[in-house]
Amino acid sequence: MTNAPKQPPAEDAIREHTFDGIQEYDKRLPNWWLFTLYAAIAFWVGYWFYYQNAKIGLSNTEVLQQELARIEAAKLADPANQLDDGTLWKMSRNAVFVDAGKATFTTTCVSCHKESLRGTDEGGIGPNLVDNVWIHGNKPTDLLKVVNEGVLAKGMPAWGPVIGAKKTSEVVAFVLSHHEVPAQ
Amino acid sequence: MSETKATIVYNDRIVRQFLYATLVWGIVGMLVGVLIASQLNFWRLNFDTPWLTFSRLRPLHTNAVIFAFVGNMMFAGIYYSTQRLVKARLASDFLSSLHFWGWQAIIVAAAITLPLGLTRSKEYAELIWPINIAVALIWVVFAVNFFWTLARRHEPALYVAIWFYIATIITVAMLYIVNHLSIPTSLLHSYPIFGGLQDGLVQWWYGHNAVAFFLTTPILGIMYYFMPKAAERPVYSYRLSVVHFWSLVFIYIWAGPHHLLNTALPDWLQYLGMTFSLMLWAPSWGGMLNGLLTLRGAWHKLRTDPVLKFFAAGVTFYGMATFEGPLLSIKSVNALGHYTDWIIGHVHAGALGWNGFMAAGMIYWLLPRLWNKPLYSVSLANLHFWTGLVGILLYVAAMWVSGITQGLMLSATTENGTVLAYPNFLDTLNAIRPLMLMRVIGGALYLAGFIICAYNFWKTVKGAQPVDGTIEVFVEQPAPAARMGFGGTWLNAPVLLSVFLVGFSCLWMLGTSYVSVAGLVGAIVTCVAGYALLYSRGKAWQDWYERLLLNALPFSVLTFVAVAAGGLIQIVPTVLIHKADNVEDRIQLPYTPLELAGRDIYVREGCYTCHSQMIRTLVPDVLRYGDYSRLGESIYDHPYQWGSKRTGPDLARVGGKYPDVWHLRHMEDPRSVSVGSNMPSYPWLLENNTDVAALPSKIRVQRMLGVPYGPMSAQQIFDEANGQAKAISLGLREAGAYVAPEKEIVALIAYLQKLGQSTPVAPKAAAK
Repeated sequence: MTNAPKQPPAEDAIREHTFDGIQEYDKRLPNWWLFTLYAAIAFWVGYWFYYQNAKIGLSNTEVLQQELARIEAAKLADPANQLDDGTLWKMSRNAVFVDAGKATFTTTCVSCHKESLRGTDEGGIGPNLVDNVWIHGNKPTDLLKVVNEGVLAKGMPAWGPVIGAKKTSEVVAFVLSHHEVPAQ
Repeated sequence: MSETKATIVYNDRIVRQFLYATLVWGIVGMLVGVLIASQLNFWRLNFDTPWLTFSRLRPLHTNAVIFAFVGNMMFAGIYYSTQRLVKARLASDFLSSLHFWGWQAIIVAAAITLPLGLTRSKEYAELIWPINIAVALIWVVFAVNFFWTLARRHEPALYVAIWFYIATIITVAMLYIVNHLSIPTSLLHSYPIFGGLQDGLVQWWYGHNAVAFFLTTPILGIMYYFMPKAAERPVYSYRLSVVHFWSLVFIYIWAGPHHLLNTALPDWLQYLGMTFSLMLWAPSWGGMLNGLLTLRGAWHKLRTDPVLKFFAAGVTFYGMATFEGPLLSIKSVNALGHYTDWIIGHVHAGALGWNGFMAAGMIYWLLPRLWNKPLYSVSLANLHFWTGLVGILLYVAAMWVSGITQGLMLSATTENGTVLAYPNFLDTLNAIRPLMLMRVIGGALYLAGFIICAYNFWKTVKGAQPVDGTIEVFVEQPAPAARMGFGGTWLNAPVLLSVFLVGFSCLWMLGTSYVSVAGLVGAIVTCVAGYALLYSRGKAWQDWYERLLLNALPFSVLTFVAVAAGGLIQIVPTVLIHKADNVEDRIQLPYTPLELAGRDIYVREGCYTCHSQMIRTLVPDVLRYGDYSRLGESIYDHPYQWGSKRTGPDLARVGGKYPDVWHLRHMEDPRSVSVGSNMPSYPWLLENNTDVAALPSKIRVQRMLGVPYGPMSAQQIFDEANGQAKAISLGLREAGAYVAPEKEIVALIAYLQKLGQSTPVAPKAAAK
């Protein structure tokens, strides 16, 4: 018979033994499958050498420290970190800063200081920000410091690292906009 | 050789019982799943009721699906196929029944205790210690019944399905026992003997391999029996079976640490977790290939036969999930996907796609054979298939999009990478709400499919006469030449070469300088020798393996050695090392009695189901939650609470971040201080009294576990707890809120405010 299908030798042989009628071929392992196995093993050896044996690759904490150093440098170079009282008062009279600050205040601060900024006087958790009592100093830079670094003992979180220098200065400008600029 | 003919009647009654249980518990587990998925979107569905609250029901869902649904399905499949593959009735009807009823009793006990908040808080290992003992005993019953049946077999050789069953039974026993070692403080409560890093490592060695050896290997065995049966085609490749079985069971165990990537876990363990997960890809796909390629020449049957439809789709989902697993184990991918819905999608591709569909295929194949009656409706089975398939696809797609979206939002930064783009966690949560809804729809469709299956099942078996399979066998005396002793098992090239290769590789990986180099050289020499020998003596190796298949005990011993290796290398050094050498530069302050009581409330309510306590060594984590977590900061945590999912923010450094009154209002009604939160309310914490009476016993056990509590009398413990509680209550009163000091919320606040507090320690001179 010329048209008989070619019989690949041994390849398609069915194993002699059957189990409950189940037969088994004994085919070669697919090449691409073997390749993925060997490639993964080679990767393991290379990876281990790179990170563990030779320590060429940086560890988790080393990478993190590098990144954090870069972030700190960027922050130090940021003019928003070098504000003085006069500038903050000026910002508090500028609608651009105040509106942006209000938006941040609404999402971040109202849960404790309330929409009205009246805080504990209106059932909130944080102090009233529109009365004339200043717990941690009455200068704009004092206020900026509280927002940036928090007062952990009293439950005020440090917002600087969370929302950044730009937004903290805007929030401070928004709060100051509820107060009179002191006479020089 | 004397030959006598005997008729064997299989114990198919037990298979039918397990099938009923599979369907009942499957529907229960999926129903709870749909409920808790809905609770994530609609917090009111928690009904302000402790035992209906998400954090208590989520463990019920996972346990029900894994141990009740897949467990019962696995037992049905194993008992049915094993009897036929070894030509012997199950060894003991009593043990079979004990296994069935014992397992159902355990499930019922779990369904009662978990909603009551009785939990160990370790994932898929939540059940309390008396139930743990029951599980271990019933597993032993199963093992004895199985191996006794093997001992009485009339079929000398072991088929590949049996290999997988053996690996399942041995490995699950090992994992379960080690991960459940604990010391009771009362009849219903215990502390695990491991703490912090050790507890995390043991937990994920268990958790990862529960997936491997409870949800994967037994189902692969079931695939190897039922798939060729249903397709009426030979299995694709025996050789592939051998290679993928041994590589799978050996490599799987090593990959556990990929659940702890980028955490405080020591780097070398992270490297192991990642690289071994990648090496696991091919062995997993070996199983998929052998399944799918068995269908060659039978693809046309898929059009008409729902059984094959389910099997083909199930194996395809297995391939998809086992591709996704290694992908998620790459550290940078994991940084994005971990703690998000992506992982939830991944496990459901496995549980719904692989386990659920294999279960359905097996049920539809068994029904006509066990009740001697055609399936009530093939159309309904097809409807089940398509409903389920659409359900899974919706579910998995929703979770992919949700996980990646939230992951990207959580790590997005602005202002030159110095601040988070979405500092408010709730912004990222509310962005994925539509996808969470899509997940509910997908899950509900999948559940609907199984309800259709239950109806079809019921209509088929109603009034039908159950039949037990029979077979006539020739009882032969076993040929003594095939017996394999110690020498035959161990002193042969394949086993010795494997042992040398693993040993040398470990020396290379973990040794330093000359040891490491020697290990590398040894490993290379072993590889070359092995390769050369395979070509020159391959036939002898084959004969040896064929002989091994005639010997169940040596086969089981070798399997045990293969699965034990990875755990030994990873866990033993971590447990043996003096704790003080493994703290990095900080060590946590031990909890005061009141804080410990608060911690147990945190555990009881299941807070870990949504909140991690592990700030990873990643910039977005550090920007959002503070300095990265050190090993020493959870060293006294029995059990550890690093968590695996962040539906809410990380809590590792929440202590001192908010005032006490914030926590009070937040627990009473989260939305009063966190607008848009989906967290359940926990109003009962303001009503229940703290269980101070249990503290002396708890502190005694903590002291036994190495937590540095000084000698304290029971009265001193009570006084200290009451003193701290009064101070907190007084502070709350000053802030305008009154809660009596004995209420649970006070203890919980004490614990939450302690989180992240540690003392610096001088870094040890690199002792490695």
